[in-house]
Amino acid sequence: MKGRVLVVDDDVALAEMIGIVLRSEGFDPVICPDGDEALGMFRATQPDLVLLDLMLPGKDGTEVCRLIRAESGVPIVMLTAKSDTVDVVLGLESGADDYISKPFKPKELVARVRARLRRSDEPTPEHLTIGDLEVDVTGHRVTRDGVAIPLTPLEFDLLVALARKPWQVFTREVLLERVWGYRHAADTRLVNVHVQRLRSKIEADPERPEIVVTVRGVGYKAGATTR
Amino acid sequence: MRRFWRHTRVRLLLLTRMWVRRWRSSLQVRVITSTLAIGLVTMGVLGGFLSDSIRDGLFDQRLEEVLDESARSTRQAQGTVDAAPASTQVQQLLVDLVEALQVGGSGERDVILQRPSGQGPVLDILLASDEQLVPLISDQLRIEVAEADGQRWQSVGIPTAAGIGPGVMVGSHVELPGSGRYELYYLYSFEPEQRTLRFVQGVLAAGAVALVALLGAMTWLVTRQTVSPVRSAARVAERLADGHLTERMAVHGQDEMATLARSFNEMAESLQEQIRRMEDLSTLQRRFVSDVSHELRTPLTTIRMAGEVLYASRDGLEPAAKRSAELLTTQLDRFEDLLADLLEISRFDAGAAMLDAERRDVRDVVAAAVDGALPLAAQKGTWLAVQVPDDPATADIDPRRVERVLRNLLVNAIEHAEGTSVEVTVAADSQAVAVLVRDHGVGMRPEEAQHVFDRFWRADPARARTTGGTGLGLAISLEDAHLHGGWLETWGRPGHGAAFRLTLPRRAGITLTSSPLPLVPQDEEREPQWTTPTSGPASLPDLDHLEVR
Repeated sequence: MKGRVLVVDDDVALAEMIGIVLRSEGFDPVICPDGDEALGMFRATQPDLVLLDLMLPGKDGTEVCRLIRAESGVPIVMLTAKSDTVDVVLGLESGADDYISKPFKPKELVARVRARLRRSDEPTPEHLTIGDLEVDVTGHRVTRDGVAIPLTPLEFDLLVALARKPWQVFTREVLLERVWGYRHAADTRLVNVHVQRLRSKIEADPERPEIVVTVRGVGYKAGATTR
Repeated sequence: MRRFWRHTRVRLLLLTRMWVRRWRSSLQVRVITSTLAIGLVTMGVLGGFLSDSIRDGLFDQRLEEVLDESARSTRQAQGTVDAAPASTQVQQLLVDLVEALQVGGSGERDVILQRPSGQGPVLDILLASDEQLVPLISDQLRIEVAEADGQRWQSVGIPTAAGIGPGVMVGSHVELPGSGRYELYYLYSFEPEQRTLRFVQGVLAAGAVALVALLGAMTWLVTRQTVSPVRSAARVAERLADGHLTERMAVHGQDEMATLARSFNEMAESLQEQIRRMEDLSTLQRRFVSDVSHELRTPLTTIRMAGEVLYASRDGLEPAAKRSAELLTTQLDRFEDLLADLLEISRFDAGAAMLDAERRDVRDVVAAAVDGALPLAAQKGTWLAVQVPDDPATADIDPRRVERVLRNLLVNAIEHAEGTSVEVTVAADSQAVAVLVRDHGVGMRPEEAQHVFDRFWRADPARARTTGGTGLGLAISLEDAHLHGGWLETWGRPGHGAAFRLTLPRRAGITLTSSPLPLVPQDEEREPQWTTPTSGPASLPDLDHLEVR
């Protein structure tokens, strides 16, 4: 699969280098050096994934992230020079699926990009229920009482991972591996932030979640099926 | 009774102690006490002197009167006796004489007339206005009167209803024609003088007490005026020392105290200014380190990727270019590690490091760290022996930080074990969880152990950096331990290896008092040894020859 990747980064050298690496791995990189133009480029190129620097001239990275997220569920991976908690959490909360801290190795970058672009190729149609939700895995659709709930691919993957084994409690590390594709322990804040985002979309009352339930000191599990 | 005494003694002791405490702690108490003591002594001496002088004066004056009067009376009596007709009954004459003498003179007096002792049985007559007073005439006086011609006197105590009153007995004699010599005694009471004296003494004492009280009050007032600004200065200084740099003294008026307050405030002002400047500088410097680290990251990323691309295609390059690509890649790793550590340290320095604590079993964290260190151990030919308790050793920790600490300790131990085994021991008690990492390698000298947590410190500068540690690993580890409220301590002996002990409180808020594991190995305990106490956050940490990330 030849995925198109939009690289939004003001550092020309880095953007070009990322382009070289991605191209050598068979991706189709498109480079945008400015935050203000990012959204136009995004609409024009319809990429399969966005690599987004958080510190941009013009529009701020988190702002660009929010705008893209507002109209698309496309995977967004942030490039950040700051690994400080606040910045990362801010980026994740504005809609990014994952982040890579500078400096990163080409292999890491490619692995992150691949993980986000991978599609679960389930050969057989699969239908799951979780709480009062219907999950059509093959069709990538989540419905409640026949009404579709729009989820990003990452949120969908997270929900499916939990729904497939409703009897199992998933630790954050396991979820990182299943959903994000991390093989080593990484930042569990990724899980926390995305669980919050997922809850805000699917829970009737995000303050008292019933579909994605927190198991204190361990992790998360699917709530009881109510239909 | 004994109990009462014991009680009194104890109470007295307590009172004394309290007083001594106050005496030492309060300038005011000392000044007032001294003033009162000096005042009381002065008043006592002065009062005693005055009262003595007055008493002597009163007495002398009255005595003179008394002597004049009695001499006059005696002359009169002699005249009466001489003029009496010879036929007069001696007895009757004398009775009349005594009666006449008693009412004469300026006031009350008693009169006693008697024959000299041992002067024949002719008429052993004794006449007295009050016979009870006769024993007051002492033998001494009688002898003197008998031997002398004029008057003799002696002070005596006169029994009264209220006790003994002062008085003077004056003795003289009259010649009775034909009957010879009779001793004539007058007893004068000095009670009125005594009363006057007592009154004067009372007035003097009252005056003295009033004066001393006044003195005390004045001293209290004066010392209060002096001491209270000093006290307030002390209070403000204390607040300043506690870090309340905006604290100032109140300035009233133009006197010396106001000058003190103004000078004090100026000092506080300049102190605050200095501290602020230092803080600004320090913040600026920390910001700079942080910014530099961040700014370096973007170009470093580009370089790193370029290096990797070159490295990936190194087989197609000439030997020199190939080796260059390899060196570039490995050194970039080191550079990156250093940058990451520098950033971490700058975060600690800026106080921006935050504990992301969760309840975890320390055994799991140790297992993860050991797993991570296995490749290096295998490469160095070192055995890793891990001993963990059977029960879960849960604690509120930031697993990322604790694992980093353990990784640093393990890499450090493996590096210095020189092929011998490294032992990792975990233990827990109700308060704390401890992990001891012990190697049997080259060990450390005391002065090395002291510096092991210093930044960029290297035990032996000539030593090759085989693992390419950044020099910040142990410094960061110590900061991580402190962030948990824990300890990171070290022990070492040259040739006997070294031990590092990480002790973490099991729950937030527990203040560590002891560790579940001994730092010094039991087989080393009897020999000379050296340990470093946990350094406070002020003395920064770290061992360079040890770390690798």
